[in-house]
Amino acid sequence: MASDKELSDFLKSVDKRAFKRALYAVRDEDAALDIVQDTMIRLSEKYADRPAAELPLLFQRILSNATMDWFRRQKVRNAVVRNFSDFESAGSDADFDILETLEALGGSLASESAADSVSRAQILLAIEAEVARLPGRQREAFLLRYWEELDVAETAAAMGCSEGSVKTHCSRAVHALSTALKTKGISL
Amino acid sequence: MNQNDLRPTGGLPPMAALDALQARFALRVTARLTERAAELGPDLTERLRFAREQALERARAVRSAEAAATVGVSRGGAAILGQAGSGWWLKLASVLPVLALAAGLFMIQRLQENAQISSAAEVDAALLADDLPPRAYSDAGFVEFLKTPGE
Repeated sequence: MASDKELSDFLKSVDKRAFKRALYAVRDEDAALDIVQDTMIRLSEKYADRPAAELPLLFQRILSNATMDWFRRQKVRNAVVRNFSDFESAGSDADFDILETLEALGGSLASESAADSVSRAQILLAIEAEVARLPGRQREAFLLRYWEELDVAETAAAMGCSEGSVKTHCSRAVHALSTALKTKGISL
Repeated sequence: MNQNDLRPTGGLPPMAALDALQARFALRVTARLTERAAELGPDLTERLRFAREQALERARAVRSAEAAATVGVSRGGAAILGQAGSGWWLKLASVLPVLALAAGLFMIQRLQENAQISSAAEVDAALLADDLPPRAYSDAGFVEFLKTPGE
């Protein structure tokens, strides 16, 4: 059973990322805060007796469900329409090369100076905007897999889909982000 | 960062190399997202802290309710001490006295029926075994004779 301190530490470690995840999905700060609070309370009420090691996966699953509940309540048709872009073919950009973007990111990191600090905030904003612009399932898979650092099986469990779907969503999300950053000529 | 680090190594199969590249790119993006998340305003940070505290309060309330339910007192007055997961056994234990009572009542009824049958059988046997035929008791004159004090 997770102790009070373990639960508190866990919630503290995850709350900001959870807020951002919800915000990317619902695009409304108040709604995102409500979703995060609802998620925390559901976790505390129903799963406080679980071991601390189980909390991350449970939390992510509850957060996903709470976000879905919000969409159901709001009946936002646009969210559903946006998800249809998940069915786009993977090979739409024949000249896509992830290495180019990686090299741009790596090189710009090395050459960053104090003079870049003003534009850096704008670049972070732009990256965040691109993440928010991803189709819902792709963004969820991408953030769970790489931000929350769940493995493929855990991500699949949290999203309620197969491991193959997680890999596909992640790959498409990386592809889309890389293309978008390259198009914007973003250097950090 | 050395750009040679970003090149897939020749030893890895193409799919594994692509996965590694994707992961590297994704981790760089999420590092920027973490930077942004750390820059949340004081208002949002405070509201998140409040949400955390509310959740912890609920967890404490649930735990104390569970602890109170762990020590249950049965109808017979006997204290039953158990673990949180023994709710099933507690229910079973509370049903047992009811079952015992029902079985007892059933047994008492059967015993009474048997006693009635055996007493009726004794009367019948006595009547049949007697020298006097049972029909004599329905004769009014014989009943009158029985009531008359002996001479």
